[in-house]
Amino acid sequence: MQEILPKILTYLFVIVVYAFIYTIIRMIFLDIRTMARKKNITQAEGYLKLMNLKTDIDFSVNESYELEKDNLIGRGPKCRIRIADPALSSTHCRIYKAEDTFFIEDNDSANGTLLNGENIADEVVELIDGDKISIGSLMFMFVRPEN
Amino acid sequence: MKNDNYIVRPLICILLVVLLGGVLLSLNMGKVNSDTALLLGGMCLTLAVVYALLRFFPLGDHYIFMITAMLGVIGVIMLLRLQTGHGQKQVIWFSVGAGLFLITSIVYRFGKFWNKLNKLYVTGGVMLFLITALFGYSSGGAKSWLRLGGFSFQPSELIKILFILTLAGVFTNEYKKPKEKDVKIKTFYNTKLGRNCAATVVCYTFLLFLLLQRDWGTAVLFFAIYIAYMAVYGEDKRFLLLNGVAAVLVSIMGISFMNHIQVRIETWLRPFQDVAGKGYQITQSLFAIGEGSFTGRGIGAGSPYYIPEVHSDFIFSAICEEMGILGGLAVLMLYFVLVYRAFKISLSTNNEFNKAVAMGIGVMIGVQTFIIIGGVIKFIPLTGITLPFISYGGSSMVVTFLSLGILQGISARRREIEDEI
Repeated sequence: MQEILPKILTYLFVIVVYAFIYTIIRMIFLDIRTMARKKNITQAEGYLKLMNLKTDIDFSVNESYELEKDNLIGRGPKCRIRIADPALSSTHCRIYKAEDTFFIEDNDSANGTLLNGENIADEVVELIDGDKISIGSLMFMFVRPEN
Repeated sequence: MKNDNYIVRPLICILLVVLLGGVLLSLNMGKVNSDTALLLGGMCLTLAVVYALLRFFPLGDHYIFMITAMLGVIGVIMLLRLQTGHGQKQVIWFSVGAGLFLITSIVYRFGKFWNKLNKLYVTGGVMLFLITALFGYSSGGAKSWLRLGGFSFQPSELIKILFILTLAGVFTNEYKKPKEKDVKIKTFYNTKLGRNCAATVVCYTFLLFLLLQRDWGTAVLFFAIYIAYMAVYGEDKRFLLLNGVAAVLVSIMGISFMNHIQVRIETWLRPFQDVAGKGYQITQSLFAIGEGSFTGRGIGAGSPYYIPEVHSDFIFSAICEEMGILGGLAVLMLYFVLVYRAFKISLSTNNEFNKAVAMGIGVMIGVQTFIIIGGVIKFIPLTGITLPFISYGGSSMVVTFLSLGILQGISARRREIEDEI
């Protein structure tokens, strides 16, 4: 008994360590799967493509964002496209689709929204493929893939 | 989150390991008195607090700390089994390290000037080397220890981090506006060749100091980190050739002139020729690993005291003896996952400097583990270096935690938004 008990406990000890490694690897695996899924851009009707070099940016931002029927862009939790750029307002601007056309409007943001270098102020402007949208410290290109 | 269940499980595993270890120690050694139990409890408390902080605040990666916690727990249990005093100190160092880990991660994350302090890193490193050369004392063949107050520590541990930060800075920094008078130097520094030269100069200066200290293990580690950076950022075959030649030259010189190295090589090639003398350490280590076989003799049932330095350099042999090769492999796998995390963080961050730093830290931990475990199992010549988080040693523990804190800070910067979406 005095011989066997420590051995069994040691086996248990090692088994628990392996169980730990298994759980960690499984968690990492799940994480990878969700990340891989996030990157997969499906065929959207329009999307925003980041024009800045990612290396110049300190906060996390995707290379591209799909556009849906109504997209609020900003820093705050209400936004569909959420970017932690300190120069963005919490709800900075809105891009929405009406009758197969995308429109952009500024949402009373502090730093304004520029379309091809011009401040759109309180107008609602139609977006055409290739338009450059500057918000905060970022610049996006609006892309409408031809189907 | 649907993964909630998964997130608690590793913590349960760690607590179970502590519990089992405690029971084993008290069964076999009669060593768990109230003090030790209190210390083990304290360690669990530290783990739980740090873990809760990581869990409920957006502080970045969850895995790094859990893996290190498991390694630390295995180390503490082995040390308590070997020598109670060392184990108790190790628990304190672990808690200090964990605290420092959190602080470093937060400081690193919110400081935005880390890539601009290159000169400071280099001067700091050189100063530390000079101070060690002047006031240091030797232990185990290397004059690399410094006594400060009641503590003694190895400055080369701290210089490792400075070295990584320096190399990362050299290879990724941009110098935008060179001043009129030193345009030539600045523009040369901006070319690929200039950067490679700068990195080489820094590396060889540090190596010179390390070789003067006769700390060959750490020198190999520094050289490996440098080679990794050159392989990733250098893109120059001439330097690879040059470094290869330099490495061969230095090793030939070491083998032919330094008695210290000759003994190491000799015991590596023919350990059984002088079992009682020069080969004693390595042969005892091999006997211990052999004795452990696959499943080990049970924690507390082995006889690790035959191995000299078993609490620091040779702790892996003791683990293999008492937990078997399976236990040793488990430890190795933990290091694998840790290094994998470091590279993963390096790949997914988008700041060039942080990318380089994370890569360096991953390489550092990986190579350090390889050098000491390889040495202990007689795969490569033995050099004295600590096994991160398991070996007894305050400076090693604290500094490795410091480097992981930087890694954690980098991962937190990346995660800030991802988690909220």
